[in-house]
Amino acid sequence: MVITPVHYIVAPLIAAFAIPLLIKIHKDAARIVPGIVLFYNVIVSLFLMNHIAEHGMISETLAGWQAPWGINLVVTPFTGFLATMVSILGFIIWLYGYRFKRTLKGGEVKYYEILQMMMIAGSIGIIITGDIFNMFVFIEIVGISAFSLTAFYRSRDGAEAGFKYLLIGGFASAFLLLGILIIYTQTGTLNMAQIAERMPDVPQQMKIVALIFFLVALGIEAEMFPLNGWAPDAYSQAPSPTSATFAAVVSVAGVYALIRVVFTMFDVEGVNNYLMVMGFVTMLIAEIAAISQKDLKRMLAYSSVGQVGLVLIAFGIGSNLAVFGALFLMLNHGVIKSLLFMAGSYFIYNTDDKKIKSLNGIYKKLPIVSFFFALGALAIIGFPPFSGFWSKFYILISAADEKYVFLIIGILLVTIIELTYYLRVVGRIYFAKQEGEPASHKPSINALVAMSSLALFIIVIGVYPDLIMPHIQSAADALLDKSNYIQQILSIKN
Amino acid sequence: MMEFQALFEQYRDLITIAVYGTAIALIVIGLYAVLMKKHLVKIVIGLSIMDAGIHLLFVAIGYISGGTAPIFSPGNENAGARMVDPVPQALVLTAIVIGFAVTALALSLVIRLYKHHHTANIDQLNSLKW
Repeated sequence: MVITPVHYIVAPLIAAFAIPLLIKIHKDAARIVPGIVLFYNVIVSLFLMNHIAEHGMISETLAGWQAPWGINLVVTPFTGFLATMVSILGFIIWLYGYRFKRTLKGGEVKYYEILQMMMIAGSIGIIITGDIFNMFVFIEIVGISAFSLTAFYRSRDGAEAGFKYLLIGGFASAFLLLGILIIYTQTGTLNMAQIAERMPDVPQQMKIVALIFFLVALGIEAEMFPLNGWAPDAYSQAPSPTSATFAAVVSVAGVYALIRVVFTMFDVEGVNNYLMVMGFVTMLIAEIAAISQKDLKRMLAYSSVGQVGLVLIAFGIGSNLAVFGALFLMLNHGVIKSLLFMAGSYFIYNTDDKKIKSLNGIYKKLPIVSFFFALGALAIIGFPPFSGFWSKFYILISAADEKYVFLIIGILLVTIIELTYYLRVVGRIYFAKQEGEPASHKPSINALVAMSSLALFIIVIGVYPDLIMPHIQSAADALLDKSNYIQQILSIKN
Repeated sequence: MMEFQALFEQYRDLITIAVYGTAIALIVIGLYAVLMKKHLVKIVIGLSIMDAGIHLLFVAIGYISGGTAPIFSPGNENAGARMVDPVPQALVLTAIVIGFAVTALALSLVIRLYKHHHTANIDQLNSLKW
């Protein structure tokens, strides 16, 4: 194997330290180098996906220590699928933000690009690591980058949102450490596969206490109610490409961490029901809060939290079909919400404030961006023939299979709420009376390429879902087949 | 050295309780400061104290009484059973570095908040709401 999973982490780290030096040679290095690195991550992902399709899962051990003792990076169809998705979306977001803040002087762009790259690299790290403490380290890498990026604009609200996020993130890290501590004292290992193997011997009360610590800590990362108070502030105050990254990359990594801990490490009865109930509450409250928002990015942020709630519901149902639907929804959410944030950011750029009411008739000024926004809005509600339809469809089918009538009613009710607030915005964009002068900030070519590729994905997957479904199916199978995961990791020697 | 060992053996239970008790007390004090104090700097200090408590707890669980440093040196090859567990120590080193970074970032944000709001009282930072 020429390319191994460790390249995911090494390349961004080398680049992050090299950029401040390279910027002395060429002033655009801070913009270009992260793009090269993120593109390299896409190549790594595609290579590894190809490799595991032929040879089975990869477990790379670092520093020459075998799996239970050393840190290992695991690429199964499940983690490989998520890592591929995150790296491709990360690259597209970089492409979108390439000309971001061209007017700023070099220093600030450097910080932005480095932090953005580390946030994406850390998210990939969370997904591919097989070691619980290593996961903590990556969560902190993502966290520190995200806190700084939230406060990137040196404004009043930016600092407040950043501090709020940091405070709750500090709680998350403390609780995660306590959870890891309890697990380590009980099982004597940090390797997730070995923890899962030894978990049946752990006393029940220790399991429950550790699980509560993990649920609180990772629930903060995954934006689970009531731990998601930071999310709307952080999404709305961060620069727009960062908001897209929060939705498409960071929340995916957070949900992955939660699911990996709940599904693989612990074998506690009833936690699925907990996920289902909390997901339901998260979805309901977030979507109701989204209706009353006057600020476009806050509305999109609440919608993101609502989608995460739906993902948690589907994981809570727990059947193979439901997990399939949940993974499909994670993919769709990443793609569609990035598109919405990208398009919405151009609206905000062209209006004085971030309010929805100043979008009246913006269709005349920005026809292409308006089209992308409308497409994204319809797709995330779940209109056929867009990709969002299929994920919601499969989640509903799986809920029907398990006879959760209330879930079906709730999901459909929430869809109506989504319809209301998205079409309200789309209606303003297209049908309200125009006011003001022509657009001063036309979308740049790279942003258009990024948005078109996401839109193309939405339409193509909507029409031919079979293109992606085998990959998602094998990912769902890999997640649910816990004993195979344990056995493979503890037996692989290389 | 031998005297110290003997003294340690004599009060071992007491020392164990003291170490674990201190760790738990630090975590509780930190939690209290973060949740109850209004001043931003005090909140950041509370976060640090809570981290310190967790780190102490980590080191404490790795310790075995009378243990040696986890190094295999010549003439000491079979010392594995008497060594303290090196893993929690490695974890604590990492966690300290992370905690340091978070504290530094938090303090810089506090300075920026103070510049904008001219107050460090968290109750008066309420421009962002649900």
